[in-house]
Amino acid sequence: MSAQLSLSGIDLPRRNGELAFDAPWQSTVFALAAAVVEHAFGGDQEPFRRQLIKAIATQPGRPYWESWTAALEALVDTLPEPLAT
Amino acid sequence: MSQEAHHPAAVSPVERRVATLEALLTERGLVPEGFIEEITCRYESEIGPMNGAKVVARAWTDPAYKQRLLADGTAAIAELGFGGPEGDHMVVVENTPAVHNVIVCTLCSCYPWPVLGLPPAWYKDPPYRARMVREPRALLAEMGCPLVGDAEIRVWDSSAEVRYLVLPERPPGTEGMTEAELAGLVTRDSMIGVARL
Repeated sequence: MSAQLSLSGIDLPRRNGELAFDAPWQSTVFALAAAVVEHAFGGDQEPFRRQLIKAIATQPGRPYWESWTAALEALVDTLPEPLAT
Repeated sequence: MSQEAHHPAAVSPVERRVATLEALLTERGLVPEGFIEEITCRYESEIGPMNGAKVVARAWTDPAYKQRLLADGTAAIAELGFGGPEGDHMVVVENTPAVHNVIVCTLCSCYPWPVLGLPPAWYKDPPYRARMVREPRALLAEMGCPLVGDAEIRVWDSSAEVRYLVLPERPPGTEGMTEAELAGLVTRDSMIGVARL
């Protein structure tokens, strides 16, 4: 880790770690999952977590955020169809 | 974002899938305006390992707090205002000269987000998840965390039910430091248990 230890910099939370996302689509799909958990499942993370475990187990070597994407797709498939307007 | 992200490139299949998801979920009203930006910013900056570092620094300077922290991690962490989903059942494990703790999630990537922010890329990789259980000493050495002598290594497998946080040992020579200064010494990796301070 190339952490810059600066005692006055403790409010710079990124100094400790690498960037969490390597590409914009990764932060997008992360936030989309958060949106579905919050707005479709009332904050219950368990349904998404189950899909993520399944997605990772199905293809263990797949890059993490791609498994995340697959898990979200699977979860979205379980949502009831919106009422026709 | 990485440098590569700034170069125009063909849209990859996964990017297309994410764009499809975004359009679908937005159409269904599940993604309020600005939600994606807000979440991304929050996890990249506000919720980061600094929350965990503050917890550790408090434990180093306040013995009573440390006792509460080790007895009921969730409640003691909530005292500092941190908590929420992914941090509901926190267990704090203390490093000593004789015991070195390290956390992993063998099933997926359970991680105490409210105190450590988003997990680093390697935490989610299959080799880390498998090898930290099978050969922790070798993997820790490879990650630049040589263990002194024959300290016992305890590997804690996180789950939806329990999230772990490692309380690193306070480094020698820090006796005169304030709590805020101490917090500045605490790294994310030391709270995962793959580094020593």
